[in-house]
Amino acid sequence: MAELLLDPKIRLWVFLPIVVITFLVGIVRHYVSIILSSQKKIELLQVQDSQVMIRARLLRENGKYLPRQSFAMRRHWFNNEDTGYFKVQKRTSNAQNPMTDPGMMTDMLKGNVTNVLPMIVIGGWINWMFSGFLTTKVPFPLTLRFKPMLQRGVELAYLDASWVSSASWYFLNVFGLRTIYALVLGENNAADQSKMMQEQMSGAAMAMPPDPKAAFKAQWEALEITEHRWALANVENDLLIKND
Amino acid sequence: MSDNDYSLASIGDLSEDEIFDLLRKWRESNERKSREINKIWTCRPDVVIENRPNEKYLIYEQIILATLDCNNSLGAIMVINTLDKQFPRSLRVMRYKAMVLESDGRYEDALQVLDEIIKVDETNAPARKRRVAVMKAQGLIGDAIKELVDYLKKYSADMEAWQELSELYLQIGEYSRAVYCVEELLLHQPHSHLLHQRVADIRYTMGGVENLELAKSYYCQALKLNANNMRALLGLILVTNNLLGHYKPTGCSKRKEAWKLSRWAQSEVTKKQREMRGADDNALTNMMLSLSISE
Repeated sequence: MAELLLDPKIRLWVFLPIVVITFLVGIVRHYVSIILSSQKKIELLQVQDSQVMIRARLLRENGKYLPRQSFAMRRHWFNNEDTGYFKVQKRTSNAQNPMTDPGMMTDMLKGNVTNVLPMIVIGGWINWMFSGFLTTKVPFPLTLRFKPMLQRGVELAYLDASWVSSASWYFLNVFGLRTIYALVLGENNAADQSKMMQEQMSGAAMAMPPDPKAAFKAQWEALEITEHRWALANVENDLLIKND
Repeated sequence: MSDNDYSLASIGDLSEDEIFDLLRKWRESNERKSREINKIWTCRPDVVIENRPNEKYLIYEQIILATLDCNNSLGAIMVINTLDKQFPRSLRVMRYKAMVLESDGRYEDALQVLDEIIKVDETNAPARKRRVAVMKAQGLIGDAIKELVDYLKKYSADMEAWQELSELYLQIGEYSRAVYCVEELLLHQPHSHLLHQRVADIRYTMGGVENLELAKSYYCQALKLNANNMRALLGLILVTNNLLGHYKPTGCSKRKEAWKLSRWAQSEVTKKQREMRGADDNALTNMMLSLSISE
């Protein structure tokens, strides 16, 4: 089969513009999100709860290094029926609809404005503006499975799978520019779209604030069934045997 | 002297890059090095911090602390003014201002500034800890303890605060409370031999058979984690000797075990001592012999 030859003007007017546009959009998004970002107000009560949870977990894990009395004292403080922290502290369950929380609403809106909107607008525009071009070729053969990934917008059955279409080139850039952003903007920048997409897929449940009531109950249960096993019971013998 | 141990005198000879490297190293390893940094700030006007946009604010903060440590509050005020211009109304800069007031001995004013910070941002932990420091500086240990306990009720996983509280309790001789604080640290770092040794030290100081036995266990654990912990070894000798006096002399198994541990610890000390300075110097051996108990 004769080798396809691309017009050098495609390189100048399609290939490079797509790279530059994606890159610059990323930069702009970074700064826009900095302007829009509001510092999250943390509630003192939330801090207190989370720190108490850390302590309870540590007590379960490392309580064996404390004498029985000290362990029991701490567990009493957490779990006592009348005065224990997990029993006395009544937290309202705030796992209701996030829509009722105006602060959360603005956060979601901002996230959409900085992340989803440009993705749709720029992606659509690129699709319309540069549709139907082959832009480049990957320097290795690929199987037919890659065709829908690399040749979006160019539906030619007999075209070699290593050719890349303009729309696919845009997506490759979106996902591939992460390290460049890290280089230019430093770590933890907001320009990286692929990270955002990962968050959307996995983080739907995590974005919700954890319900302190349920978490307290879980910790209470776990602590209740924790048995104290004094880790230092045999340390004297260990020491003597080791050095004999 | 190793090459990372710069003396005060050699700071004048370092190049600009070397100075920045040094500052970064101290920052990363949490070394205070106040005298050195203060000297860099006062004696090396040729080192332009503005040239390092990435780390200049970190360096400024380092310098503020160092100058305050060296009672050079004028220097600190100069740096704070630079930061203030860049970050007006920053709570972090406000905290440094409070520290300047504190170093000048104007404790009431410092507390006022800190209270303002807390009013704006009630989750500002550093400001709350600073309040404790102000009280400690005035010698009001009781108030400092009260303040710190209040703080720990909210931030109960703050290890530095627990450590500070344990030291404050030790200062006023509240040993059982100090033990509670160190045990809290132990929960966080169960593999630190120094913490085990600290618990044992306090328990030994408290006295009583039960505490002595716990101290024995903790000293053993410290030695298990780090066989070179000399303080724990000597502590073990003292504890076991003390315990031997408490147990009844008739064939009690606990007494036997304590006796064995004591013998073992003494032989360990002698061994270590030989390794350290050779066999000829036996002043310490004689001292240890006088400490030991003959069966």
